[in-house]
Amino acid sequence: MYRSTFLLLHLFIIITVFTSLFSGLRIATVTHDSFLLLSPILPEGRVHFWHMLSACTLTILSFSYLIYRKKNKSPPTGSKYHIFINQFGYLVFVASLITGWCVYFNLTQFNAHTIHLISALLIIAYLILHSWVYVIQYGKKLIKRLLFIPKRQFPWVCLLALLLATPLFFYLTLHNQTFLQVTSLKPQTLMEVDGLDTEEAWQNTPSIKVHTIGGANFIDGQTTVTIKALHNQHETFFLFKWQDPTHSLAHLPLEKTQDGWKVKENGFVNFDERKHYEDKFAVMLSHTCGNGADGTTHLGKKPLDNKPNNWHGKGYHASVDGNIRDLWHWKAVRTNDMVLADDNFIGPPAQPLHGQRRYSAGYLPDGKESGAYVMNWQWYSQTGVIPKRLPDTLTTPNQVLPWFGSSAYQSAKDNYPIGSQIPSVLYRSNRFEGDRADVRARGHWKDGVWTLELVRKNQTSSDHDVALQNGICMWVSAFDHSQIAHTRHNAAIALRYSL
Amino acid sequence: MNARIVSSLLILAAITLYCSIERATEPSHEHPRYTKISADGEPLKPWQGPWACVLDHQSNLLWEVKTDNESIHDGYWTYSWFNNHAGEENLGDCYFEPARCDTEDLVRHTNRHGLCGVKNWRLPTHTELQSLVQAPTRPSSTHIAHDYFIHIKHGDYWTSDSDDQLPAHFEQFQMGGKAVNFHTGQSMTLPYRNAAFTMLVSTAPNLTAFRFNTPRLSNRTSVITQPKENDK
Repeated sequence: MYRSTFLLLHLFIIITVFTSLFSGLRIATVTHDSFLLLSPILPEGRVHFWHMLSACTLTILSFSYLIYRKKNKSPPTGSKYHIFINQFGYLVFVASLITGWCVYFNLTQFNAHTIHLISALLIIAYLILHSWVYVIQYGKKLIKRLLFIPKRQFPWVCLLALLLATPLFFYLTLHNQTFLQVTSLKPQTLMEVDGLDTEEAWQNTPSIKVHTIGGANFIDGQTTVTIKALHNQHETFFLFKWQDPTHSLAHLPLEKTQDGWKVKENGFVNFDERKHYEDKFAVMLSHTCGNGADGTTHLGKKPLDNKPNNWHGKGYHASVDGNIRDLWHWKAVRTNDMVLADDNFIGPPAQPLHGQRRYSAGYLPDGKESGAYVMNWQWYSQTGVIPKRLPDTLTTPNQVLPWFGSSAYQSAKDNYPIGSQIPSVLYRSNRFEGDRADVRARGHWKDGVWTLELVRKNQTSSDHDVALQNGICMWVSAFDHSQIAHTRHNAAIALRYSL
Repeated sequence: MNARIVSSLLILAAITLYCSIERATEPSHEHPRYTKISADGEPLKPWQGPWACVLDHQSNLLWEVKTDNESIHDGYWTYSWFNNHAGEENLGDCYFEPARCDTEDLVRHTNRHGLCGVKNWRLPTHTELQSLVQAPTRPSSTHIAHDYFIHIKHGDYWTSDSDDQLPAHFEQFQMGGKAVNFHTGQSMTLPYRNAAFTMLVSTAPNLTAFRFNTPRLSNRTSVITQPKENDK
């Protein structure tokens, strides 16, 4: 009977470990480019679902195995080599489980995610040293030995317990959130959206800290975001502070070379720039609070059937449950001088357009009536560009190119010396107006810390906005001069409004 | 046992080889109706650019593409309706005329430059311009294929149709020109003095040269792209 129970647990664990490893390695491709080499054999799509399901199963199996070992006190069998390797295996499985749950609960300050990845790689080593060596030793006999469970001794109770406990546990993990108290603001209190937290109201408001991981350029890819929130009858104010040692405003600057003007970049052609980009911050809001950015993360090169692939091979965001997620995207150069965050949303995958090379799936800007920032090149090419405008006097590339103070490009008047750099962001008309301008925001960087104030009406008339109210879940991401490589956290932040 | 070692190493080698194969990037797909045409008259692939005209295979018309580079084709310029001494001169706003602008100015300059190798540019008829109207594909985008017709504004675009009775609130002007609004997709009649946008059209004499898969197309192989303003 013990043998049958062991075989059942072993069979389950084989399936679970492979599901967990493959889905986990796909998740690792988002942060670690080297794992993209494995992309062709890794699953695509909503892999966070499978990773969480396998994590729950693995946890249940681990406890089941402990019970099994408690009941079956016979000493371990096999050679000294296999006993030693198994003990190594137990160690890395326990490390993987503990660190995995730490990531789930946002307890990543002590590099739990890194240890989690290392433990996953050690599990691969274990599989080679354990499973592969057994395969070498026993060949086809091993399949019969491991997969055949005599019907008379089949552990039905154990199977039933696993089949009941795993879905129940998985269901419980779907609701994972921390809470942010949204403090009531006196009606007469005036707030200035200036990127400074000098108002008395901010000083007296409680904060929470959310550790975010996996972003490019941050120290160890991590930054802790401190969040405060205030509300009155009409609006909700947010204050976000996060460490960012570099104040990055050189957004794809144009550099004069021997061959003309070129965009300074190291990955922009594949929409994954990680060097010459502005700092950014994103806030996502949703009525639901699921894992994997509320189920909107679709990983892989072509994660959605019948939709175009993505150029960086990492994936994109889309809502496949039909619900809109609000996405506020503050940009240190492009929108900061407009005192706005770009009001975007994540909706169902958009219809691909023949003429657009980049497909962003469900990530789209809200509609606007007018206003825009434009890029200061007539047509982008890696080999060279023609600017739309040149500054009248040489200016730093760390800013928006002013309309007044620049002139339409004429090659005859392009006397800038080789090596000159000019801004690539141009305000051609007014700031955004309409739905896309619903979120006012201003950021201020000082001594390695960004402070961002952000405010929006609790209710807007837009179909692409989520109303700010009790129970709405929020996620935050910081970008350190990177286009898409943002930090992230798993557990949602549920808003609790004061009455 | 040796056979098992060899076979497992072969499996590992096969997986490594499979992973290391360079996978071709998904190619662009031709639009069923439109082809981009460069300023010198060459057809382009859907992701190539810059393009100055769009060939409409449905109507066999060549359309001017607006820009945002302050040239004569800039999409921000507006024009009063003026054609063959009829209408109102110089009541639109542009940078390329010493006085203000009208539709005839744009036609004259565009033909002088021979945009896309063509010199018979003109205002489109109402039927021609209305044929471009389609449902928006993005929130609040214009009622046109905006991936091909870039820089089209949420506003009124002149057609060549004129001598149309104006609605009651323009009663004092009596007659006006027909326009298509790409914000709503609707048509209306506007006073000639109104400053509206303009997109020219041409019946290119050598349309067959622009057909898909022509030998000339294969000469341009470099894929170049222009990320738009909403790129993350």
